[in-house]
Amino acid sequence: MVTRAPLLAARGVSKSFFGNPVLRDVSIALQPGRVHALLGENGAGKSTLINLLSGALRPDGGTIEVDGYTVSRMTPTYARQAGIAVVQQELSLTASLSIAENIGLGAYPKRFGLIDYPELAARAGAACDLVGLHEPLSTPVGHLPLGRRQMVEIAKALYRTPRVLILDEPTSSLSATETKILTDLLERLRSEGIAILYISHRLNEVMTLCQHVTVLKDGTCTADRTLEGTDAAGLVRLMVGRDPGDLFPRWQPSAPPADVISVRKFSAGLMRDVDLDIRAGELLGIGGLVGQGQEDLLLGLYGAIPAGTASATVNGASGLPGGVPKANALGLAYVPADRKREGLHLIHPIIANMMLPAFARLPALKLRSRRAERETARGLAAQLAIKGDLDRPAQALSGGNQQKVALAKWMPHDPLVLLLNDPTRGVDVETKREIYMMLRNFAAAGKAVVLLSSDTPELVHLCDRVAVVREGRIVAMLDRGALSEEAIVSAAMGAEQRKVAA
Amino acid sequence: MTAWKDSAYGRRALTILRSRPFLTVAIVAAVWIAASFASRGFGAYGHLRYLVELGAVIGLVAAGQTFVVIAGGIDLSVAAIVTVSAVSLPLLSWQADPTGVTGILAVLVLTTAIGLVNGLGVALLRVHPMIMTLAMATFLQGLLIIIAGGSAVTAENPVVRWLGNARPAGIPAGVLLWVLVSVIVLTTMHATSFGARIFAMGANSLAAALSGVPVTSTTLAVYGISGFTSGLAGVLVLGMNGQGYVGIGDPYLLASIAAVVLGGTSILGGLGTYAGTIPGAILLVTITALITVVNASPGWRSVMFGSLILGLLLLSGREQARR
Repeated sequence: MVTRAPLLAARGVSKSFFGNPVLRDVSIALQPGRVHALLGENGAGKSTLINLLSGALRPDGGTIEVDGYTVSRMTPTYARQAGIAVVQQELSLTASLSIAENIGLGAYPKRFGLIDYPELAARAGAACDLVGLHEPLSTPVGHLPLGRRQMVEIAKALYRTPRVLILDEPTSSLSATETKILTDLLERLRSEGIAILYISHRLNEVMTLCQHVTVLKDGTCTADRTLEGTDAAGLVRLMVGRDPGDLFPRWQPSAPPADVISVRKFSAGLMRDVDLDIRAGELLGIGGLVGQGQEDLLLGLYGAIPAGTASATVNGASGLPGGVPKANALGLAYVPADRKREGLHLIHPIIANMMLPAFARLPALKLRSRRAERETARGLAAQLAIKGDLDRPAQALSGGNQQKVALAKWMPHDPLVLLLNDPTRGVDVETKREIYMMLRNFAAAGKAVVLLSSDTPELVHLCDRVAVVREGRIVAMLDRGALSEEAIVSAAMGAEQRKVAA
Repeated sequence: MTAWKDSAYGRRALTILRSRPFLTVAIVAAVWIAASFASRGFGAYGHLRYLVELGAVIGLVAAGQTFVVIAGGIDLSVAAIVTVSAVSLPLLSWQADPTGVTGILAVLVLTTAIGLVNGLGVALLRVHPMIMTLAMATFLQGLLIIIAGGSAVTAENPVVRWLGNARPAGIPAGVLLWVLVSVIVLTTMHATSFGARIFAMGANSLAAALSGVPVTSTTLAVYGISGFTSGLAGVLVLGMNGQGYVGIGDPYLLASIAAVVLGGTSILGGLGTYAGTIPGAILLVTITALITVVNASPGWRSVMFGSLILGLLLLSGREQARR
């Protein structure tokens, strides 16, 4: 199969940061017309490898080759000229610019030295059509939900008509339909002879889409082989170096339910006239296409955005909390999706992040006890297997560990209702399993967990009930018996109206 | 066991040595030593004591400014508030209270209220702090001209006079006041939950709000504190000066922000300490004193002051890149 020279390759590259080796002697070769999967847990060195391939970082040892020739000094500019496009996991879009402007940024078509807007619109429009992005091109990107922004990011890469396309977890914030569009598109690009490097934590996607796989573990390459004859369990074994076991904990029927939150005709943001009961001891899933108002439902209940309701009871108190401190006092806790922007204080130490909800609710002028704080934080770190010095800033942690910190900070307050917004997005398999276990245990302890997720298998295997949201309304409430990926997706897309007695 | 303790203390000592407040202290010490050799009389105890006394005014204004900047804002009305305090105190001194304490309290309530209005605009009306406080400053200056006009007003307040001139145990009362305020500020900033909330708000106010930090009331408090300390600085400046006039607070706007930044507090918010602002304030008065020694016209003095602040910031105060 390997007869032509790879379009882009790394040969025995190594890289360390501040003396910590991140990559050791890793090789990878991207062949035209092949979708190459790059797997590994968070912190395994995937992002570093991409940065080396795209010239954002320079290797300490080893070489980068383009078309079989060693590039002595790989730079982002050179990579662009060589037709290498990267879709970053951290979105690199400018919120106040329009879709078209973002797509063309840095490569605007010029006419008489000025930006040729009609030409830009035409070319950006073509790229948008490829990814199924139908919003007006003049929409500011900041107005788009996360999933659509991701599509803009992909369109931006396609605008440059790349020969090598590198996608870093492109589907982590996409809905099922958007994922389908993307996989079809990648399939087509592949048949046109483009080399694709695909990074994802969703193994079923990798199994269906990719032909070849490179697995990284702790900065070394543990597998470089075709995907033929492997299965998902085999891949997980390669990534974690041991048998995966079941990703999801066994589902067990929960205690007889009592409502902890019950709202009638609840409206917040995009959500309109929602009737919802959340029961103690259950894991309630919220599904649907991305950006249908699910997030507003959580934020409204949490008091973070204005919300209205005909009647509401939250933990015995009538009426909505109407403010985050009030919601916290009523035992609600919220873990946001965008942990860098909404969940963590990246420049502050891990310990300060963990203690923040405590600072928020203690009397303002009460003297702090650093010793007690350290003890609490150590306990949380041990409980959630967060390793290392707690005085490091939170940005030093990998994505999965950051998510654990975002969860951990609520644990000392023993919340009765945990509102989670896509807690496993961009999180490696091992951390996912830990988070699932935690949520199940939490529900088993008689608390309520509301899990908003863009990962449908998660909803099916983990939740007791799933509310499917479409266009600001709950269009279906699926009980355990009726739960399946098909049921959720069809309700989300309005394929059929299914209502199961809640 | 002892070895572990030793190394922990060792690491701690190293952290302090590498910290920005310490760097600022080192710069002050270096400048003092160099200037003592270059200029006779600079290093005399009386002169250095005088410098610290001048630094107290900047230090008080910069105390509130440090809170505001750490919380992610900026207060451009501090100079106007200093003037409000120094001008209105003589007008507010009534005969019924010979000690003059009520007058001072009334002025401090007034300046704190001005700060709270700033906070209201920033927190509730969502006006950008720069615009809100700049508008407030302009408003106050206009009001002062209407009320006080161009004439200087003399204070007949015994407490104010004591504050500006007394030296219990050889230490100027203003410096004692500064020490007291510093202790309270440092405790509030680093040893209370309120302080922790301010840092969280400055680093990421959205994440802070979602973690339950009462952002509105904390913002109000921060600007209120800034109004209070500016008011206190106004009282002190009136005491040292004997007279209040419109424009008396003007030097303290740039000085307060420069002291904060020179002390290593990030102008972007979320990182910093008043422990750096203190040497920052002393460094600023030292520079001013050095420039005065050089015989130059006021225009050139201003040019030199501005350039030196920029130079010092290049030396020590550049922001580190944030992701």
